[in-house]
Amino acid sequence: MAAVADEAELFLALVRQRYGARLDEAQLALVRETLEGLARDLAALRAATIPDDAEPGQPFAAFRAEP
Amino acid sequence: MSVAFRTIRELGADLRAGRLSPVALAEACLDGLEKTGRRLNAVVTLTRERALEQARRAERELKGGRDRGPLHGIPYGAKDLLATSGGIPTTWGAAPFRERRFDYDATVIRRLEDAGAVLVAKLAMVELAGGMGYRQPNASFTGPGISPWAPDAWSGGSSSGSGSAVGAGLVPFAIGSETWGSILAPATLCGVTGLRPTYGRVSRHGAMALCWTLDKLGPLALTADDCGLVLDAIAGPDPADPSAAARPYRYDAADPGRPFRFAVVRGAADAAQPPVREAFARALDTLRTLGSVEEIALPDLPYEAMTRIILWAEGASSFERLIESGGIADLTAPEDRATPYARDAILAKDYLRALRLRGVVAREIDRALSRFDALVGPSRGAVGARLGAEFRSPIRGGVPDVLGAIGAAAGLPAVGVPCGLTSEGLPVGLQFLGRAWDENVVLAAARAWQAATPYHRQRPPLS
Repeated sequence: MAAVADEAELFLALVRQRYGARLDEAQLALVRETLEGLARDLAALRAATIPDDAEPGQPFAAFRAEP
Repeated sequence: MSVAFRTIRELGADLRAGRLSPVALAEACLDGLEKTGRRLNAVVTLTRERALEQARRAERELKGGRDRGPLHGIPYGAKDLLATSGGIPTTWGAAPFRERRFDYDATVIRRLEDAGAVLVAKLAMVELAGGMGYRQPNASFTGPGISPWAPDAWSGGSSSGSGSAVGAGLVPFAIGSETWGSILAPATLCGVTGLRPTYGRVSRHGAMALCWTLDKLGPLALTADDCGLVLDAIAGPDPADPSAAARPYRYDAADPGRPFRFAVVRGAADAAQPPVREAFARALDTLRTLGSVEEIALPDLPYEAMTRIILWAEGASSFERLIESGGIADLTAPEDRATPYARDAILAKDYLRALRLRGVVAREIDRALSRFDALVGPSRGAVGARLGAEFRSPIRGGVPDVLGAIGAAAGLPAVGVPCGLTSEGLPVGLQFLGRAWDENVVLAAARAWQAATPYHRQRPPLS
């Protein structure tokens, strides 16, 4: 859980750096809470085993305008 | 003759028998939407001129012997994220877009016009379809959606106006959209039937893109049968939307003539509120009279985390310009004005991991479902929040919604049906989730449920 909390703090620093001027303390608290949830989600996602050959199910389609 | 709370089939019979005219029907809906729909914050724009023009055409055609099918002359409302031509605004429920107008019709709007349906209103919705992470009913520039069942209860979202307009008997059907829960939730909280089709069943052309790999369009109506009639009109391939599948669809209203095979995930209702748990337990008893109910376990995978990562990443990309410009400051819900900035923390490789895992999930769930007609569960774990109160949202991770996450990410069809009322008179719902492209199977199960139960015929205490 410490790693999750550390990652959330890292994320918060990023958001502060990019958008801090737009956000008041109450909004930053909302962002922090959101980032803590995000960090938990990312930890769960990264813990799942995925076969090496698993591909995203949205293949790019080459495009050519037909006359 | 009252036209409220009458099904598409009932209204169609009256229209064809000359007991009711399409113009009178459209005017009755417009009147109800103006008086009651506004009170429920369900309406963004009444499309009176277009409605009466379409209704007059339907009247001429039906009198002249041209019948376009079950929706001919039937009024409907469209969630205000579907593009409409003719100067009608398409606001996406969001103040920054309240003046937006398109010069074309979304494919769904066009197909409904071809089927002879009559567009009477653009209906209210949670701003940007809820994709910014709202957690309170007041998240639209038109105000919080109100359930017809209580003046202080939320209608659900994000297709809030679609749910409350049908639930109040103001239109026979409405079109909603769902990325995660946005058809089933308002259908539940407004006491109506909602159908989330398979991803790719219905063209998204002209619909606001929140998450291009998750968004689906579908109907809300009084019955599962009506949902099938609407799906029949709007489904099908579309050159304007490469994600719209080439698979043909025809609604089959026939009874399969055999017992159903239902599955229920172990502990499916454990995290739901007590009235929802109790209603679901009663529902299982009824379902056992319609067939078998087998408890199953799903593979241990991070369904909700995966779906949230996809939703948050794609939503942030779709609205990158609004977020980066600071335009989200003009949104209504306070959390929508700040929390989208958090999504900068999602790395490309995490988004791709979620997409890759989704393929694994899709196969695992299809395997689990292959022995069954439908997986059943509560269509929403919580009853309608009180206006002004915060609620716990699965999109923000505040409450479990495994079936919702699976359905959203794997793109599976589901029908939400009324399943009873709480002691406070608020609706609760049941969902039938099926295999990809099995809309007819889940609709058949929902029809059987509605033939065996009275809940879809209960009416809200509207004055």
